[in-house]
Amino acid sequence: MSTRWYPIYQKGNPQLRVFLPNFWMKIVQPQAKQLPNVVQFHCSMEMTKFDIKNYLEKIYHIPVVDVRTKIAIGKFRRDVGKGYVIKDDDVKTAYVVLPKDMKFEYPDIFANKKDDAEEEQKALGDAKKNFQDYLDRNKHRTDVPSWFTI
Amino acid sequence: MNTAVVSNILKYTVNRCLRAQNVIKIAAASAPVFKRDVHTTKPNNDLMEFFDVKKNWGETNIRVGRGWRLDELRIKSNSDLHKLWYVLLKERNMLYTMEHECKRQTRLFPNPERIDKVQESMDNIETVIRERNVAYYKLETGETGERPVEDVVNLFGLPEKYEKKEHFIPKFMNTRWVKSYYEHGFVNSAAVKKFMRLYKEKQYNVERKARNRDFNHVQHLLKRFPNMDMEALKAEYPDVDIEKAKRTKKARGHFMPKY
Repeated sequence: MSTRWYPIYQKGNPQLRVFLPNFWMKIVQPQAKQLPNVVQFHCSMEMTKFDIKNYLEKIYHIPVVDVRTKIAIGKFRRDVGKGYVIKDDDVKTAYVVLPKDMKFEYPDIFANKKDDAEEEQKALGDAKKNFQDYLDRNKHRTDVPSWFTI
Repeated sequence: MNTAVVSNILKYTVNRCLRAQNVIKIAAASAPVFKRDVHTTKPNNDLMEFFDVKKNWGETNIRVGRGWRLDELRIKSNSDLHKLWYVLLKERNMLYTMEHECKRQTRLFPNPERIDKVQESMDNIETVIRERNVAYYKLETGETGERPVEDVVNLFGLPEKYEKKEHFIPKFMNTRWVKSYYEHGFVNSAAVKKFMRLYKEKQYNVERKARNRDFNHVQHLLKRFPNMDMEALKAEYPDVDIEKAKRTKKARGHFMPKY
């Protein structure tokens, strides 16, 4: 877009119009216990409270009563090998308040997850089979390197 | 048979939308005969749109089609592109949410290339829209309508490309910014002058070393390959004086001199 940078706020009309917004939002599990009508989001750093409200109302058709935001600074840590300082990205968190009668509970995605051991067995079987195939393929040409193939 | 082919094409088109639930009703109106082939679920307009469909929860392998290509998007109308943008935007939000949850639970996020596919499709839409925008602006105003770029000299006296952006006040009113460009401002200060002197010296040394390196290399080449194609050598090292290089001591091999 020729207007891909965030436009400056000007008093009066016409107000800011966004043709193809490239903002992103994602729902996250709240760390602290929240009221049933409060949803916690992570969103693009440039989004304002008004942007968040408009985004949810216009794109997702979700009624929004109030939005509160905070910016959490990313952690500073040292690289394990070289020791230089790494800074994690800052995160903008939005607490969106829905109307009183609406409830949202973060779903348990992995509730009916299949047994991990079974999956691992399957992966191991696949790996074994692939290796056997590889051996069979090169059985009659022991003196040729394995990369020499079509 | 023909009908079967057409319906297959339609199905294929629909499969290209990454999430069956979000398919826009493009074909539904134009071809009533094949209405049944197009799957159009009403969007549920809920916070659950941020999550994947329930059947994909906990799956380890989620197969999807490819992203949208430029040529496919170029034949779409503006309103179709606009709709598709929001489909992709929601899809990307959904994938981000699922990725975040998987990371939190220390699980593998199944098929992370889905995010790349959606992002690529969105980039392609932007490219197509930009093409149309530029064409429109050129036709109407004779300019591209792109963000203007200016060649400026930055505070360190180095040339720089400045992408123009909006400011609350005009340049001349911004006293803090203007001050550094005064006669006794930062740009003309002793510190910047010293920096420029050292910077130029460094650049000169880099050039000089490259020149000497090439000259030496040509001499050694002449020593090892006296019957070399001189025109090819000249083309490879245009800045080197080859006649001078031939006469030097370094270019003489263990044989009777050729030149």
